Amino acid sequence: MTTLAADLYLLLAALGLALSVGYAGLPMLGQGAFVAVGAFGTALLDRAGLPLGVAVLAAVAVGGVTGYVVAYGAARLEGALLALATWALAWLGYAVLVGFPGVSGGSQGLVRPAPTRLVSPSLGVELTLTPLVHIVAAGVLCVLVMAALARVERGPGGLDLAALREGPLVADALGVPVARRRRVVLATTAALGALAGAGTGVLQGVVAPADYSPLLSLELLVAVLLVGGARWWGPVVGVAALAALPPVADALARTSGADPGRSRGVLTAALLVAVLALRGPLRRRIGRRRRNPAELPGCSAGLGAVRPPVMAARGVVASYGALRALDGVDLDIRGGEVHALVGPNGSGKSTLLRVLAGALPADSGAITLDGAPVPRAGSQAARVRAGVVRTYQRTALLPGLSPLRQAQIGARRPSPYAVLRHLLATPSSRGETSAREAAGAVALASCGLAARADAVAVQLPAGEQRLLQVARAVATGARVLLLDEPAAGMSGAERAELVTVVHRIAGSGRAVLVVEHDMALVGRIADRVTVLAAGRAIASGPPAAVRADPVVRRAYLGNDRQEVPR
Amino acid sequence: MGAVYGLVGFGFSLVYRLTRVLAFAHGDIVVGGVFLGVLAVVGRTPVAAPLSPAASVELLVLALAAGAALSAAGYLLTVRPFRHDAVGWVAAGVAAGLLVRAGLGLALPAGAYAVPDPLHLDALSPDGVLRLPGGATLPVRVLGVLAVGLAVAVLAERFVVRSRVGLAMRAVADDSDAATLVGVATGRVVLVAFVLAGALAGLAGVLNAPGRALSLDAGVILGLKGVAAALLGGLGSVRGALAGGLVLGVVEQAAVALPALGAAYVDVVPLAILVVVLALRPQGLRSAYRVPVE
Repeated sequence: MTTLAADLYLLLAALGLALSVGYAGLPMLGQGAFVAVGAFGTALLDRAGLPLGVAVLAAVAVGGVTGYVVAYGAARLEGALLALATWALAWLGYAVLVGFPGVSGGSQGLVRPAPTRLVSPSLGVELTLTPLVHIVAAGVLCVLVMAALARVERGPGGLDLAALREGPLVADALGVPVARRRRVVLATTAALGALAGAGTGVLQGVVAPADYSPLLSLELLVAVLLVGGARWWGPVVGVAALAALPPVADALARTSGADPGRSRGVLTAALLVAVLALRGPLRRRIGRRRRNPAELPGCSAGLGAVRPPVMAARGVVASYGALRALDGVDLDIRGGEVHALVGPNGSGKSTLLRVLAGALPADSGAITLDGAPVPRAGSQAARVRAGVVRTYQRTALLPGLSPLRQAQIGARRPSPYAVLRHLLATPSSRGETSAREAAGAVALASCGLAARADAVAVQLPAGEQRLLQVARAVATGARVLLLDEPAAGMSGAERAELVTVVHRIAGSGRAVLVVEHDMALVGRIADRVTVLAAGRAIASGPPAAVRADPVVRRAYLGNDRQEVPR
Repeated sequence: MGAVYGLVGFGFSLVYRLTRVLAFAHGDIVVGGVFLGVLAVVGRTPVAAPLSPAASVELLVLALAAGAALSAAGYLLTVRPFRHDAVGWVAAGVAAGLLVRAGLGLALPAGAYAVPDPLHLDALSPDGVLRLPGGATLPVRVLGVLAVGLAVAVLAERFVVRSRVGLAMRAVADDSDAATLVGVATGRVVLVAFVLAGALAGLAGVLNAPGRALSLDAGVILGLKGVAAALLGGLGSVRGALAGGLVLGVVEQAAVALPALGAAYVDVVPLAILVVVLALRPQGLRSAYRVPVE
């Protein structure tokens, strides 16, 4: 009974970890530390005289807040460094437990005073915490968390999580508040870990540092990776496998005479290796069971017209360290127009696009949208909300997601507590969900990808992968689209399709800026061309006039800086 | 201690620079190398008795070789199969470390062991301590560790900067695809780097082990302190890792010596430094600005 209850609490911690690792793709290696926060926090507060329920809640709150604080620093970290930071955290927590017997009770641990009874005179409740009570409590909590995970995955939260998991850079460019989402995810993971720790501590009646070593973090990681991905039932399988470890380890230890703890370590490591080796094949098998292509909702609707924007850059200077990439650039992008940005390699085209998109702060100069200054650079998400979106020069796919889902990620609209409202299935949330599905479908259709809505993105032809990026950007509803070499890798026919698509987008009143090398394509696609050379705009006007400009000809023939007139 | 952290951080940094892989098992390789050497030379019940000259050489060579072999095996088994899957190589690295730790634990069941010193650093002075003017004494080991550690680290650093293999390493570090195109055997260069890092880890272990009770579990913390050293010096900078190691060693000893803190902080302070540096300056304290890759 006690073992089952303990395993259910372990499952609760694993479900929390699955949110970070499986759903959000964050390699979190320190869940054991948060379980320890819950267990030791509850024990300490309980001994300090707080009622047990309050002690548990306080410990869980401390766990969640710790997770949020950790995430505050860790949200910017690229995957492996996050793993390193949380791994260091797991050992830091353990070092504190071992180094400070006053906190942890030393190797004996902290013992709760028996008997374990919950008494609430105000409610007239009196409950003896038998293992059965623990099983019911932990079971209910696990079921609730699993139901929540399954529901979140199907709603707006699931789209954000999928974007975080499959491509944080793309998510950022599409307006997903990556850092904020990561903080919430890690805090939730930590809080669930702390809750599991609190339950385990109360159940066992004693919390000792040895039970909360970094090995616990690894075991939880194994449980989550065993099935992996965004599957609410994955941790159930994983924890079931973990539950089989101690008996097997003990049997091994008896036959070989080895230390049970060590053989458990060997088994955990072996299981982790096996899980990793099987990860690819297993994932492919599970991934193969796809649902039938859904009917595309709202396909017949065209791309909605927007109020034509005017985006202006004045005297923009930007540098990478000592290298001045933009040296006072002026640029006007108008709604309904396709504006091509051309120039030799290293002339600052992509840098200008990054500055306009908010990915890189300008050293000086002003950028306005309809006369008002754009949001501060640093988060592209804020620019997307203001109506400016960019695509990447490299093909950046979200490999595990269908094109329709990718477009829906783009089609997020500012909506407070969207995830929470979807969890509670409020009517407003239902309306938002269908509007988002429709917006995604319209964006796909406007880029000629309606037939590909349920395709496997990585198997699309190169040209359609490029168009999918444009479709995602269109889905954001932005009025200014900044496309970095959208034609790269496209065949002739695909380029013709791109020209049609870009003109369709501009025809809806949106402004399109295209970075492009191929002057023939520029002639077909653009209404206006700006030529950059050495970080300055040396010419701007209709394609034919710009092509005839002697200054431009000199720049393209490779003259040096001095000959460019100031 | 600083020289030891520097050597561990050096190997970690070298591997990171070439492969952008964080060697999670590196600390376990440090301790694993020592214990494999000890198992072979002294047996399953090591004591800190002085070794004969022949056994000393044997232990030193075996510890370095074992470190190199473990590191190379770690690369072939946990890094190469998962080159494009960060969760894969992170988890595989952690699993490899646990495997070394727990596997050796099957042969060496006690909590901690006294390990003999093949370098005989205590013999540098008659009673093992150096008398400083003013009556203070300093264990002469400390100076020996510092001297040997720095000498080897500088040699290794010069090797990376000067030799043909070192040139190839730097080419791979800058752009491994381009290096492959101009005829560098990228895979072999990376393997050499892992072997070098592993041998340095073995040496760090031999320097670190004697004079204290060494437990198998000490490896991870030692590895993380090495990472902290590497980060303090700027991740990927080989020379910086050495400087970072020295700084970390001094800070750690200062924390232990402070009346307000004390011995309980010997692991807590360096690990806290690691976590804080990761949170604030993930590329390390001394990193040049890089154009982000999109």
